[in-house]
Amino acid sequence: MARPESKLRELKPDELRHEPGARSDLVVTLTRRSEPRLIPYGEEFLLEKLPAGTRVIYPPPPIEPLADPDSAIRYALLHPENADPLFAQLEPNMRVTIAIDDLSLPLPQMRRPDIRERALNIVLQTLADYGVDDVHLIIATSLHRRMTEAEIRRVVGERAFRQFWPERLYNFDAEDRAALTMLGKTDHGEEVWLSKRAADSDLLIYLNINLVPMDGGHKSVAVGLAPYRSLRHHHNAATLRDSHSYMDPRRSALHHSADRMGKIVNRNVNIFTIETAINNRMYGSLLDFMHKNEDDFSDWDRTRLRGFRWTLKNLSNELRREALHRYAAPYGMTGVWAGETEAVHKRALARVFQQYAVPVKGQADILIVGVPYICPYNVNSIMNPILVQCTGLGYLFNMYRSKPLVRAGGTMIICHPLRDEFHPEHHPSYIEFFHRCLAETTDGAELEKKFEHELAHNPTYIHMYRYGHAYHGVHPLYMWHWGEPGRQHVGRIIAAGCEEPLVAERLGWEPAETLDEAIAMATSDLGRSATITYLHLPPLVIADVE
Amino acid sequence: MKRRNGTRARKSAAFYDLDGTLASLNLLHSTAFILANLGEWSARAGYLLSLAASLPRLYLAEKQDRRLLNVAMLAIFKGVSRDRLLALGEEYCERVLMRHLYPPAVELLDANRAAGMHPVLVTGSPDFVAEPLARRLRVTTVAANRLVFRRDRATGRLHEPIMAGSEKAAWCAQYAQANGLNLRDCWGYADSIHDLDFLAALGHPVAVNPDRKLAQTAMSRRWPIVRFDGPAAAGSATSRGTKLDELDEVARLRERRPSGRAAALK
Repeated sequence: MARPESKLRELKPDELRHEPGARSDLVVTLTRRSEPRLIPYGEEFLLEKLPAGTRVIYPPPPIEPLADPDSAIRYALLHPENADPLFAQLEPNMRVTIAIDDLSLPLPQMRRPDIRERALNIVLQTLADYGVDDVHLIIATSLHRRMTEAEIRRVVGERAFRQFWPERLYNFDAEDRAALTMLGKTDHGEEVWLSKRAADSDLLIYLNINLVPMDGGHKSVAVGLAPYRSLRHHHNAATLRDSHSYMDPRRSALHHSADRMGKIVNRNVNIFTIETAINNRMYGSLLDFMHKNEDDFSDWDRTRLRGFRWTLKNLSNELRREALHRYAAPYGMTGVWAGETEAVHKRALARVFQQYAVPVKGQADILIVGVPYICPYNVNSIMNPILVQCTGLGYLFNMYRSKPLVRAGGTMIICHPLRDEFHPEHHPSYIEFFHRCLAETTDGAELEKKFEHELAHNPTYIHMYRYGHAYHGVHPLYMWHWGEPGRQHVGRIIAAGCEEPLVAERLGWEPAETLDEAIAMATSDLGRSATITYLHLPPLVIADVE
Repeated sequence: MKRRNGTRARKSAAFYDLDGTLASLNLLHSTAFILANLGEWSARAGYLLSLAASLPRLYLAEKQDRRLLNVAMLAIFKGVSRDRLLALGEEYCERVLMRHLYPPAVELLDANRAAGMHPVLVTGSPDFVAEPLARRLRVTTVAANRLVFRRDRATGRLHEPIMAGSEKAAWCAQYAQANGLNLRDCWGYADSIHDLDFLAALGHPVAVNPDRKLAQTAMSRRWPIVRFDGPAAAGSATSRGTKLDELDEVARLRERRPSGRAAALK
């Protein structure tokens, strides 16, 4: 049987070296005659003329998806990496737990059927065929908000939902002390806690989606099914400062810590990992101009862009948000692997880099990024200022391997309206963190010392996390830490298009009304010869900076 | 109280409304229960009929001002003896109120106490209902409405301050000042738009099972919204039904112990 994905060129992580000139068309230097560039700006898009000489980095085009994803999943289950096939591990009456990534991935949500639904149906059928009845499905939310019934239904699909909800399909609860167990400590003294049901299972199957290289591997189980007491060992200012970058697991202290913990988990629990990778096809035929270089736009592309921007501009805030969050991307599955966690992750990582990596020569003095309406922590919710910080300084700054796109001490320009907007049911502790904690200090270590315990153990926030749909009380602090490497690296952060300057100042950023003003502010310091790079999103791109 | 990170936690309190917040009942339930158990059958019917007759007036009072409602509702007890009200308050608490507490609310109250927040019950319910409940919940500070008694019979009037609206907020401010608390560090839990002043006076207001108006206000003011009556919270009650059973058991043991006021009443 030919492997369904065999037509894709296999790349091993250590072998992903770019040929000279590879993907060079994705790095464009603008001239005076270049078209304005499309920049995400919260729930809208800016169309801005950037200075001549600006280097624009475009995402690679989508890899061709697997023609028959279901066959590929079956093949992966029958031919796992460093493990027996799934069916060979099954016995009647054994206890099996299937943990599944939550709806924070992928972004935006993918069109149905979700990859998780496809894989889950095949896995559940296999379990049923071998007489395994004691099966629980846990949504691995960690400290994320509990997913709603409709969101879970969307992820797992109708069949699994009807069969298992709600007794045997539920969200992980990191505050249900009775349902957690400690598996041990790493040689760094990190406590490894895990869902008791998962730990007591004869087989734990983890079903993931790798949107970016940061996802998957040991992080899936050791973070997704773990409580605050485990997460605090790596979601802290010191560890995240030492992660260069989040998208390069080999150089990320966050991943090293998760790996240490994951090894302890794997020693105690029989884990069968299923990892999947998706391509970069974030937009379908109506909006696929977003994937293109603006200089190559056809008249039809320009018309669609005008229509798209006009629609976004003229919708009410609520309708616009609703429409954007309802949008589902036509992602295609580019690979699926199963078996032993590390071996599987190695294969998945290679495929993810194959999709996103673009070679880039040298760092810039000024990096421009646009923060979109969505990040992993505002699914069907509001992108509040802490999350803008997390996305801009955390995710987008970290879209590199080797070296950051901006030089140490350089300037980062983040385009977003930055409004003082929060969702009280989803992000209650974010409101307190922004208005009380950040008013005292923006230093990550100081915030950790003064407020971590209070936020993590606040009973109201814990209640809202467990029984409402709120992120855990400590989550805003972690999202602040997420920006720690970026904050340490750059010298200046300018919020372009900022509507509420006080919000930018609270984050420690400088407000600028327009992108032009922000660029003028940045070049006033660095001079007219300052080099500018614009990281063109969406979809996603990871810069291999030489 | 010292935290694990060595910093000293600031002294704080958590103020709880009762009706609709900790329990799914309201002042009308307690009043109806007490009237239905006063005197002989014929008298009971009379009391209940008079309560039914005053419902339109109570409804209008509620629409106008929560203070008016409290005054009008508790005026119904005019002429009832103090010890009868105390006994019926205990009985109402034991037989009805404890069964209608939201288990997650009790859990949150205990967790707040464990986190160093002194619990305070601030309610428009009368003291002969609020205090037995407070004892069962181990809440030592209660601000409730108090009937004026003359020769041990209720006059139908209430002592000032009447616990409703802005007076709840004023009481909290006084209490904080007297106890060296900063209201900015305190948490408050209430369910009704009538408690807006009370909630707004506290640094950490939480709308609990909010009515429509309070929910809108909470959204616009970005206050946390907690639902003890939602399906998820209700589901949680199964695992913690034991919590209320424990409280009941404690209450039963207390009742068996022939001491203090309970003994005197018997």
